[in-house]
Amino acid sequence: MNDQMSPTKLGFGILWPAFWTGLPIKLALAVLFLAFGIVHFETRIFLAFLMLLASPITVFALPTITLGLESHIGEGAGIAMLFLLAIPIDIWALGVAGRTVFLERLRREPPDGLGLTLWWKCALVGAIFLPLLWVAENAITEASISAAHSIFETGFLVGTPVPERISIELTLWGTVATVALLLLLVIGFSLVGRTIRGTVKSARHAAENYEGLITRWDLMRVPGDQGLMLTALSGVAVVLSLLFWSSLPVFTPHPHDCCKKAEVKVEPAFKPLETLNKDEKVITQLAARVELLIEQQAEAELEKEKSKQKGEEGKEAVKAPEVTEPAPPAVMKP
Amino acid sequence: MSHTPSAPSAGTQPTVVEKVFDFIDERVGLKLFAAKMLNESVPGGSRWAYVFGSILLFIFIMQAVTGVLLMFYYVPTADHAYASTQYILHDVDYGWFLLSYHFWGSTAMVVCVFAHMSQVFLWGAYKKPRELIWLVGLSLFALVMGFGFTGYLLPWDQRAYWATTVGVEIMDKTPLIGDFLARLLKGGATPGQMTLSRFFVIHVMVLPAALIGLAGLHLFLFRCAGPGGPFRGTPVELKAKTDYFFPRQIWKDVVGMAVVFASICALAFWEPVVLLDEATPDPGDYHPEPEWYFLFLFQHLRLKMFSGEFGQFLGAIAFPSLLGALLVALPFIDRDPERNIFKRPIALTLWVMFMVSILIFTVSAIINREFLD
Repeated sequence: MNDQMSPTKLGFGILWPAFWTGLPIKLALAVLFLAFGIVHFETRIFLAFLMLLASPITVFALPTITLGLESHIGEGAGIAMLFLLAIPIDIWALGVAGRTVFLERLRREPPDGLGLTLWWKCALVGAIFLPLLWVAENAITEASISAAHSIFETGFLVGTPVPERISIELTLWGTVATVALLLLLVIGFSLVGRTIRGTVKSARHAAENYEGLITRWDLMRVPGDQGLMLTALSGVAVVLSLLFWSSLPVFTPHPHDCCKKAEVKVEPAFKPLETLNKDEKVITQLAARVELLIEQQAEAELEKEKSKQKGEEGKEAVKAPEVTEPAPPAVMKP
Repeated sequence: MSHTPSAPSAGTQPTVVEKVFDFIDERVGLKLFAAKMLNESVPGGSRWAYVFGSILLFIFIMQAVTGVLLMFYYVPTADHAYASTQYILHDVDYGWFLLSYHFWGSTAMVVCVFAHMSQVFLWGAYKKPRELIWLVGLSLFALVMGFGFTGYLLPWDQRAYWATTVGVEIMDKTPLIGDFLARLLKGGATPGQMTLSRFFVIHVMVLPAALIGLAGLHLFLFRCAGPGGPFRGTPVELKAKTDYFFPRQIWKDVVGMAVVFASICALAFWEPVVLLDEATPDPGDYHPEPEWYFLFLFQHLRLKMFSGEFGQFLGAIAFPSLLGALLVALPFIDRDPERNIFKRPIALTLWVMFMVSILIFTVSAIINREFLD
């Protein structure tokens, strides 16, 4: 292999391994989000899978396709989260795939930050080209379907049996649509390759021979601490499994008409001893309150009695000065 | 800590795991066995194209595990099969997920079998000295199809009952032994309790035992012959890229298994199993059709050229049998040692035509549903 690779080969050579490198991690997240219930794929699960697989290209094209062209792959906030989380995964995957292609096939030194460079270039091409591909492919498919239908509206083919007609129509419009799609994909890979070529040309040539390059790439892929890597991977697998099983719905989300469960509130379990103790405490408290109320009432009555007595004494005190008032002195008359 | 330079350094004590390993190795030669199994060289390096065999083994193990768990609740009688399946779906904790995983796992198994056979065919890995591996592999393919066919009946709903009825009636068209085969499977004149019992025993006992035996033989023959390796590359490139089975190919196999596992889980969420009404002798409005991997054959039989008794025999028995016989004879017909698929235009063209026709007829069968009424 040399560095005169065509743009199409270059684009395909980097994107194809990068897609599959990132897929296991993205799929694990997708399954987790499905278990959480924040993603619901509609009938287009195959399309959703392709979009996720090709997320370096689709990440900025997806909003245009979903909103502008009104094609939904599913519902739920998890879809946006999935594509956001795919960004660092894709940067890593493109870095791994890019380094392999640079060393093994182009025999060039991979520059620093290769993953990020490749990612934004692919995302940019995807944002522009993918919606165009979508529109073009839809238009070509619809046109070929109606053309295939109209062939069987002509005189001598009107009596064709249904199974034969379906197979022939499918072959006709399927061939046109597939060829169109392949051509558009080749153009897309070529665009990506042309965008990446600048990065390739600016990279230095690698000094080693082929065997030396393979050995270097082999050693680059072996983790320094294999035990740590294994432990970390196992830990991640355990955590993901726990999250998955704890959020998995216990009962089917699509019950059959025969077996739909009624909405029943679960009553709390009856615990006799606890209830008895609780009731006894309540009774004791209530009895204490009653006693207190009785005491208060008694005190109030006592106070009332006392104030009544005081009142009577006061009245008597007021009456007594009238009796003891001295008579006016008669002696003092001339 | 005191240090005496003159004293010899003490070797590290073996761990418990090492002690157990040594104990077993002393008695059965475990180290030699492990070395033989793990240190197999993979000429041209480990490849993602080689993962399908291990993935198939993984899917089979998962099907066995989920199948055993389902058997705790499933009752294989005509009176209770449907009710017990509904019980699993609606009342057993996570039962819906187990059953959906089992259902989609069977689909994954068929897809991976086709992928594995395609990879072997395209890489010419059926040629000398690997003919026996190919023949045993064809038997395994037939077993996988048998698993799908027998397992489909067990829920005993309208779809299961009538799909099996159609399949058994197709078998009935085999000359000479057709009637015997149909009666053997049905256990009588019409499908009923006997049919369910036989399909259950075949599905959970006969086929798994046969698959385990043949898979072991397949692996043994593969280890005897060794991997074929890539069909392109100079000797220098192949030698530079030689890997060992452990850890490189095992790592790729594990990643492949994880991807397949996640895909089956996602499918189980997207389309969990939902039964139709319980099986009745009258199909009513339901239009019988088989499982998706038999749809292409089913659609073939709708074509006018395969109408009538003889046409049905041709489409259902003669042509599939001829194709099977060609596949069996393939290593003995194609003796050219060339393995590069791009230098075998006939093989490449036939493979493409075969896969495309399966795709076209499967999709046609799905489109045809709209016209059945």
